[in-house]
Amino acid sequence: MRNVWAVAANTFREAVRDRVLYNLVFFALLMIGAAVLVGQISIGIEQSVIVSLGLTAISVIGIFIAIFIGVGLVSKEMDKRTLYALLAKPLERWQFLAGKFVGLAMTLAVNTGAMTVGLYLALWSVKHPLTSNDWYLLAAVYLILLKLVLIVALAMLFSCFTSPFLAILFTAGIYVAGLFAGELRTMQAVDLSPSAMAVFRGVSYLLPNFENFNVMGVVAHARPVPLALVWQGTLYAAVYSLVVLVGAAMVFSRRNLK
Amino acid sequence: MKRNPIRGLLLALVVVAGLGCVWQLQKRIDGIQKATATQADNLTIRSGRLLKYMSLEYSPLVAAMYWTRAVQYYGEKHRLHDSNLELLWPLLDVTTTIDPHLLPAYRFGAIFLGQKKPAGAGEPERAIELLQRGIRENPGEWRLYQDLGNLYYLDLRDYAKASTAFAEGSKNPQSYVWMKIMAAKIAAEGESPETSYFLWQQIYETSKDPAIKKNAEEHLILLTATLDMKAIDQAAEQFERQSGRRAARIGELVEAGFLRSVPKDPEGYPYVLGESGKAELNLKSPLLEKMLLAK
Repeated sequence: MRNVWAVAANTFREAVRDRVLYNLVFFALLMIGAAVLVGQISIGIEQSVIVSLGLTAISVIGIFIAIFIGVGLVSKEMDKRTLYALLAKPLERWQFLAGKFVGLAMTLAVNTGAMTVGLYLALWSVKHPLTSNDWYLLAAVYLILLKLVLIVALAMLFSCFTSPFLAILFTAGIYVAGLFAGELRTMQAVDLSPSAMAVFRGVSYLLPNFENFNVMGVVAHARPVPLALVWQGTLYAAVYSLVVLVGAAMVFSRRNLK
Repeated sequence: MKRNPIRGLLLALVVVAGLGCVWQLQKRIDGIQKATATQADNLTIRSGRLLKYMSLEYSPLVAAMYWTRAVQYYGEKHRLHDSNLELLWPLLDVTTTIDPHLLPAYRFGAIFLGQKKPAGAGEPERAIELLQRGIRENPGEWRLYQDLGNLYYLDLRDYAKASTAFAEGSKNPQSYVWMKIMAAKIAAEGESPETSYFLWQQIYETSKDPAIKKNAEEHLILLTATLDMKAIDQAAEQFERQSGRRAARIGELVEAGFLRSVPKDPEGYPYVLGESGKAELNLKSPLLEKMLLAK
């Protein structure tokens, strides 16, 4: 466990020192600031715009960080050949992967937290005092964070057996497909046979369903987020991430690094 | 390498002068484009469902953008006194398909659509379709029934349906008690200036759009004059009952103690009694033309 934590702490430090990361946070804060402006040129949707634009910024920027840095976690270490020095120490390959995963998850949590503070400040600027319904935003942000953690796990899995470019494509593809997992299940196609429909149905359950973490439409209209959705989403993200990371560890442990 | 300060200054001057030239050139190009531009309304994607898919999980933001576009479109057309609002319905349709819970799009969109030209698109049937969609998607929002009732009452003058809409909305325990009163009053009386005044006042107080607010204010001014004249007529009837003759001028009603002073319309012009003995607007009052147009 100590090994995992050591790698995680180093990954976190490295990511925080990364200038690109700071720029992205600045961009997020800028977008949230822009939300205040957009709210002024429309009618009756100031809060809705601020919340949806803010959450979109948190989500999109988080996805960029999760995919691009997530893919680079393993490949960069291999390219710079620092991985060999690390693995020469008493460090298992799975511990290296787990540490990298935890480190980036921590980075994402810090980034998301900073952006959330910015979002609340923007919201407060047009509406004070905040009402109890405004705290549902935290549930939305938390669910976005869960989604990002799952994306990091997927990015790491793909980066374990393919090039960074393909890993980025695969992760982005799975993310988009995962948004339509529900649609795949309910899809009505005249030309498809029942067996093909069953296959689609099965795939729809196996794909990571990213819609599980989407409550933007709910909180944008200051509606409550069901608590069951939050804890079941947490469980879903935890189990799915674990499965993906176990798969990544299996691939990585068999990979010939020579 | 030794730095040359004069060269640096010259380069800075070139940059500043260049930016100045660009600024001026852009202003000229804008002028040419403005003179040659043709007013073309355009909405590339009209399928709300397609846009919903394309917006991935960010549909609330896309819907907010489309709603903002609808508001800007309506505002711009209003500013240019252009009554052709052909894109308004597609914009509202797309907005509410992407986000069926965006209440302002139903509430204000129905006003934009329902009002007569040039204030609105003059499409009350579309406005009703929009509100009914809103009610289907948001059955707990009693304000949508209020808007539907307003539309039937103020724009379509269908008092039976207006009363039904207010009655349906009043079933929601969160609705205000006047919804029930409106339902009963409209069912019993049909159109009355008091009811119209109350409904326009509600629109004025709840609307944030300057154009809608101004329109409501104009209606309220006309209705104030109508209610004033109704009160003068009542005083004139009392005068006739007491004295056995019609009053020839409002001053007589004041002298007899039925009115405290000669009432003035919202524009400050005193009302007059017409040949029939009924109160009328002063011929000099600018409200006269507005009142005739409204009728």
